[in-house]
Amino acid sequence: MASDKDRFVYTRRQALRLGAAALGITAAARIFPAFAADAISSATISTAGETVSGGKYKKKGPYRIGFSNGFSGNTWRTECLASIKKEAGQQKDLADLIIVDGQGDITKQVNDIESLISQNVDAILCIANSGSAVAPVLRDATKQGIVTVPFNLPVDGEAWTAYIGTDPEKKGFALGKWLREAVGESAKIVALGGLPGNSYTASAWAGAKKALDGSNIQVLAFKDASWEEDKAKVVMADLIAAYPDIDGVWCDGSQDGAGAMKALLAAKKPLVPVTGDDYNGLLKLYMEQAANYPKFKIGLLSEPTWESVVALRTALKFLHGEDAPKKQIIEPKLITAENYKSYVRPDLPDGVFVDSDLSDDELKQLFKA
Amino acid sequence: MTTGAESLPTHFARILALVNRMGAVWIAVIALYVVSGLVSPGMFHVDQVLNILQVSAFLGVVATGQTLALLVGGIDVSVAGVVTMSNIVSTSVMVGHSETMLSGIAICLLIAAVVGLINGWMITILRVTPLVATLAMNSILFGAALVYTGGAPHGTVSPGFLVFGQGHLIGLPVSTLCWLAIALAMVWLTQKTVFGRRLYAVGANPVAARLVGIAVRRTVTAAYILSSIMAALGGLLLTSYIGSPSLGIGDQFLLTSIAAVVVGGTALNGGVGSIFATIGGTLFITELNSFTNIVSVSTGTQFVLQGAIIALSVLLYRLIGAKRAVS
Repeated sequence: MASDKDRFVYTRRQALRLGAAALGITAAARIFPAFAADAISSATISTAGETVSGGKYKKKGPYRIGFSNGFSGNTWRTECLASIKKEAGQQKDLADLIIVDGQGDITKQVNDIESLISQNVDAILCIANSGSAVAPVLRDATKQGIVTVPFNLPVDGEAWTAYIGTDPEKKGFALGKWLREAVGESAKIVALGGLPGNSYTASAWAGAKKALDGSNIQVLAFKDASWEEDKAKVVMADLIAAYPDIDGVWCDGSQDGAGAMKALLAAKKPLVPVTGDDYNGLLKLYMEQAANYPKFKIGLLSEPTWESVVALRTALKFLHGEDAPKKQIIEPKLITAENYKSYVRPDLPDGVFVDSDLSDDELKQLFKA
Repeated sequence: MTTGAESLPTHFARILALVNRMGAVWIAVIALYVVSGLVSPGMFHVDQVLNILQVSAFLGVVATGQTLALLVGGIDVSVAGVVTMSNIVSTSVMVGHSETMLSGIAICLLIAAVVGLINGWMITILRVTPLVATLAMNSILFGAALVYTGGAPHGTVSPGFLVFGQGHLIGLPVSTLCWLAIALAMVWLTQKTVFGRRLYAVGANPVAARLVGIAVRRTVTAAYILSSIMAALGGLLLTSYIGSPSLGIGDQFLLTSIAAVVVGGTALNGGVGSIFATIGGTLFITELNSFTNIVSVSTGTQFVLQGAIIALSVLLYRLIGAKRAVS
């Protein structure tokens, strides 16, 4: 067992090292073809939209960069913050990274960004609480010559310098396609989403429905489970009562997937194919239970926490006068039974998102594990 | 001997009297259950009944404490923060070991008691409005959980602790049995003890209560301490149900705990209500969630349905109560 575990850790470290090197290459590149190289870990970055010229943003360092984080308080954001702080420490011409927290409040985030503008920062990074609410203030900042890089969640229009993130519809489609193959053409599935009304789940589910089109797969229910294990477990327990035969579960986040699988276990039902992201809890559950339930399969696409690193590097590129693409779309590699051992972290808490540029020791320190 | 003409209204009045004594919410609980079972037969399965009872326990324990806060004319919105605190603290103290289980539970209850004491102190000595005082405490607790974990909660519960949230005893979920034990203890406390009568007296009229020699401050503070402790117990049961920490776990109780109590018939301005009715209120809210999970409606429709059914049910049994008062 010990040797197995060591091997997995080594494999993952190796993957990360390769990935980090690859990101270094992409960071140095001036021309942006479709990024064939790995970014960090095993994801790739493709580009969309025109190439934005860095000439007009060119400035002499050292730079001051602001990061308006919509809220903190889940482990994804915690790792994202840890990654950007680590990266900031390694950028010699970055004098100051000012991080402001919107506390989940749309208005506060707009005020936060206004205060960053008044502090004369050179660039503003942002994960928006509302893609429409921050659009005008980012436009103002861009007009004033500040580099603006929203990432992770899209911002309306294109009045910002560049955007970095995954494509939720594409991810939802890929997860739907995987689930379709895993459960067969005439299965019955349920779908669990994130916070009620969030646009990420809406896009991902729209993608998934396209992937399921043309099959006889019956979607018994689509419910929001807030990306919380406890809520997903409660919702799934109700769905199990209403629909005793559920052949698969589509989720856009693995907290939902883990909660759903725990509900099946509590109801003494066999585990079934499930989709999600790189939340360690579901990977650990798969590692523990795969042998007991032959039909239990995972198809996962990460939402990399190192998006913040790419955003910071992109902002610095513009400040150096280099060109960069308008949109960088991160395309994570599908995690399945075949490769999950490179990702699962049995020695770390369930809440860890494993697609991280942080080293094992850094993750352990962050999670006090 | 009564004539047939007299017996019908007499029986009706008796039934109404009985319903009113039990809490009219129980009619709503039964009616909603029958309707949801007709719409989705899955609701009638024994497994689903047990599932609803199991899930009700988390809200039920928190709402039991909330009832005490409302009875003294207050409100405790810090229960959300206390649930999150107990989830984060218990998992980080237990870290999956058996020998740390009791200390994990004890530390949570101790912190909760201190939280309740500070709430009571802010409300009775500093004269801060209960809503504002407990909202501030809720914010402090969430912030403290963020600082304590650095946003990265770790740990897991002791293996033996899982039985409280996931186990079964004599065919019933252990969480339900815990809830009933706590709720019945509080029924006894509020109905059969001097302290219980003081709670009602203070909530109905604090000035009159003080004039007859009741230690109003001490009674109110005790209610908040009990409310906090029960929120921690509810949080511990929920933690046992899921086994791992989550920073957003308590948020759901901020309003649902108040809804369960008010749907049960406890007055928001104090002095009227019962723990027994809160059991009904809790079952009603959980049934409603479960029903709207099962029927094929969108999340938006789910919220509209929940709001409309809560409002309708409160209206309905207020009418029943009024009818009895007239008869």
